[in-house]
Amino acid sequence: MLWFEREVVQALGSSSDQETRSAVEAFVDGSLRAMPEMTRLGVAAETLLFGTYVRWLEAAGRLEGREDLRLLLDRWETSRIGVVRLYVHMFRSLVLFGENELVRAAS
Amino acid sequence: MATMTTEVLVIGSGAGGAVTAARLAEAGRQVTVVEEGPWVDPDRHEPFSLDEMVAKYRHRGLQGALGSPAIAYAEGRCVGGSTEINSGLYHRLPDYLAEDWRTAYDIEDFGAEPLARYAAQVEEELGVSRLPTAPPPSSAALERGATKLGWRNVEFARVFRYDEAGRGTKQTMSRTMVPRAVAAGADVIPDCRVLRLDRKAGRVTGARCERTHPDGGRELLHIAADHVVVCAGAIHTPALLQRSGIRRNIGNGLKMHPTVKIAARFTHPVDHGDVPMHRVTEFDPYLTIGGSASRRGHIAMALAEASPDIVEPMESWENISVYYAAIRSHGAGRVRAIPGLRAPLVTYKLTEADMSRLAQGLVHLGEVLLAAGAVELYPSVVGGPVARDLDDLGRWWDRTTRANTNLMTVHLFSTVRMGNDRSRTGADSYGRVWDHDNLYVNDGSLLPGASGVNPQAAIMAIATRNCEHFLATI
Repeated sequence: MLWFEREVVQALGSSSDQETRSAVEAFVDGSLRAMPEMTRLGVAAETLLFGTYVRWLEAAGRLEGREDLRLLLDRWETSRIGVVRLYVHMFRSLVLFGENELVRAAS
Repeated sequence: MATMTTEVLVIGSGAGGAVTAARLAEAGRQVTVVEEGPWVDPDRHEPFSLDEMVAKYRHRGLQGALGSPAIAYAEGRCVGGSTEINSGLYHRLPDYLAEDWRTAYDIEDFGAEPLARYAAQVEEELGVSRLPTAPPPSSAALERGATKLGWRNVEFARVFRYDEAGRGTKQTMSRTMVPRAVAAGADVIPDCRVLRLDRKAGRVTGARCERTHPDGGRELLHIAADHVVVCAGAIHTPALLQRSGIRRNIGNGLKMHPTVKIAARFTHPVDHGDVPMHRVTEFDPYLTIGGSASRRGHIAMALAEASPDIVEPMESWENISVYYAAIRSHGAGRVRAIPGLRAPLVTYKLTEADMSRLAQGLVHLGEVLLAAGAVELYPSVVGGPVARDLDDLGRWWDRTTRANTNLMTVHLFSTVRMGNDRSRTGADSYGRVWDHDNLYVNDGSLLPGASGVNPQAAIMAIATRNCEHFLATI
């Protein structure tokens, strides 16, 4: 998992339990590894692009912390540009499925 | 490289491959089945769980057909193929479709009557039945809503057997046809991916495979075969043929059932362990309404399609179930093997009529769920809006656009269509690949179009028919 992908997973996660967060991160990491190569390549390219943009926002003082990133991701998920919307949608789906199913499995 | 020899090599062990292996082995043929995925005990994982997704789904379910919009799809990758992960709903191919396809593609010995005979055989062998008890709340809701609106609805039969206590067991291929094939002498090799087929002078001489051992080690394996039957599904069958240099009418014309979903909140708890077996058939054959897997994780994902803020609805997740509207699409797609990559490129183009039908499906699904007593509906459309009454549904028409709608499917077909019309098909009327004496396809790839219903019954009936022809002629 690339550094910005980890940031996205952390921002989208809702659990305060560190063990759950780590398990979700491992689940997302495994899912990314299992992806078709071309899809993974596309996601990685987007990660680099979006990650660079977010770094620039941070350097410019226009984005601070995980909550700001989460709000930015919420905006991207309603983007008219399909690849932007689907990028967030995919990570959110993985995080939600992982969080909720891991909670269920633990209980 | 290790080598082995067989009379019939069957590639894939899903609804097409397992039936092929059992029929041919029981007829006395020496059969070897290779399956890319692992052999997983069917009782090991809870249906539709995260564990099952990791163990049995290809790419853990993270696949998509590129297009506007992209369409996510899921396939099984284990012994038994997608029959291990589907809902087990069973529906014969509609008679009118069998007749349409026979005429349009000049398919011999095909049509409602012959297929009904083979379907009856499959049903007798597998055990196809309806619930012995009252339907669960999630399924009863569809029946209640449709009845209130005066819409046709039906409880679909499933490939299930029930014990005296009413407990059902899905009759997947790993529980039925695969053991039958093994009992008749077939060898099954799991964790074995076919890299390409070897061909010589219009014949296939065998397959080059990569076998993965339990310790993770890999070895190359060459299997020489007199006959090869490819049953790797509508995506990987054409991809393998293309990798082997066979491309004429292979991988074009992909068809599917694009699907929109709604998470519906009721005022009472609903069940989450099974998939509803009722279907609203009022709009058949172009639109089918039914229920989806609704574990807690699925509900969270479905709610988030409409709104990222799911904290409040998730507090009552036990009152929520996920439903779908699936269309028979006029669009089409392609499968293309890319040199050096394991996964092919899949594209699909929806027509404007498809998008209109999806919006119609979403609204009709909303209508039936409100009639059933749902109090909040979360559509798989970015930004919703969440609907609480019929007036709200009207706002979905404009929102169901290519830019906003999240689609998925589990039904894929038509990438090696069968028939005697060589200009439009990749295989003859019985699945023999054109210009090859001993190479066959026997899975959902052969269906000339979308079946409009769960295709497992059609795939198994057609596979049985093709095996009968194979045994009679070879």
